[in-house]
Amino acid sequence: MKTGSRWPPVPAGVAIGIAMIMAFVIAGRGIGASGSMTRFAAWVQHSLFPVATEQGTYFSRYFAEGAHPLFDYSIVLAIGLMMGSFAAALFSGGLSVEVLQGPRSRTPSRLVYSLIGGILVGFAARLARGCTSGQALVGGAELSLGAWSFMMSIFVGGWMAAWFVRKQWI
Amino acid sequence: MDMIFPLVKTGAISDSTNLWLALPTGLLFGFALFKARFTDSRRIGWAFYFKDVGVPVVMFSAIVTAMLGLWGLSLVGVLDISKVYLLPTYLWPMVVAGLIFGVGMVVGGYCPGTALASMVTGKIDALVFVLGFFIGSLFFGDLFPVWGDFYNSDYRGVARLDQALEIDLGVAILGVVLIAVGGSLGMRWVQKKVWPEDGRASDEEIRTRLATLKLQGALIAVALLIGTVLAVFSTESFIDDRVEPPYYIVPKVAAQP
Repeated sequence: MKTGSRWPPVPAGVAIGIAMIMAFVIAGRGIGASGSMTRFAAWVQHSLFPVATEQGTYFSRYFAEGAHPLFDYSIVLAIGLMMGSFAAALFSGGLSVEVLQGPRSRTPSRLVYSLIGGILVGFAARLARGCTSGQALVGGAELSLGAWSFMMSIFVGGWMAAWFVRKQWI
Repeated sequence: MDMIFPLVKTGAISDSTNLWLALPTGLLFGFALFKARFTDSRRIGWAFYFKDVGVPVVMFSAIVTAMLGLWGLSLVGVLDISKVYLLPTYLWPMVVAGLIFGVGMVVGGYCPGTALASMVTGKIDALVFVLGFFIGSLFFGDLFPVWGDFYNSDYRGVARLDQALEIDLGVAILGVVLIAVGGSLGMRWVQKKVWPEDGRASDEEIRTRLATLKLQGALIAVALLIGTVLAVFSTESFIDDRVEPPYYIVPKVAAQP
């Protein structure tokens, strides 16, 4: 894989930090990714089971007072995020349909692991009220006690599980 | 100087303009995620084996940049920090969530934002991860009564590190800069010990590395400078800790019945 067109870690982080500052000074809030994804999932579920979704203890707030779950700051941000990544890949030759995996990993197991990982992260992001961006990065910048604890826990949890899935990556 | 930021909260722009401006914010975010190679699940997976510590270094750099921007703009008096939504702390739920999240990240190779960014570049494993995320968050929401009490437990309000450690806000900010720089260098050192590079680098590689080193060194120097300025100035001038931030989800002290 070509890496010449990528940025070194510090300037890449500074660019993400500038996007976070934009959200702070324009919207008075942080950036985030998981909220938009949960809203999208709730919207899909609502189209199948409208009454149950609207009356659910957790998802009801997305529909309170006739609100549309997709009419939200986080959704516009996520659309921008996908457009930005797509544009960057387009200019650097990063567009390709493939499964990214370690040298010893097989495609079926990689996809099963990917699904399980997604389910765990989807659950945990809701329990934490945000993900790596909306909770860890934004809260980290705000010096939030909860966000820093969340971030440390992510690395502890990852290191604890790393040995068991090592064949997937190394 | 008048405090004009955050624009939508001071009335400088309308709600719908604010919504539209989320688009360029997201564009920069997504563009940078790709340029940071965060769209590659292997890079995120390798972080947990110290094979490529780029992920934590990018995260540290993003936090330091946003932190200096947020508090620095408050110090110079253009950003009204009392109008910024500050994240509340629910300590134990967040610790437990972090553990599950970390396991999910090393198993799946993504987090939500990176999965979205990678999915649109055609990566099938990212698409599957996103589908998993939908299942996981629907599971959380639909069975919310099972863990709702835990979700709302151990509430600490908007709790900051400097308050927990009983130090000045500015000193805590400088401390985070120092920890980020020291932590990044330390992790890079571990990476080189555990995964030594084979063979000698070519002259061109050495030139590229030197240029990178200069750029990153300059950025770190700027961060240390701003951090030092914030540590010296009294932070009471821009944040009043005697009043609770107005953007609380739940008041810290429940009303007496």
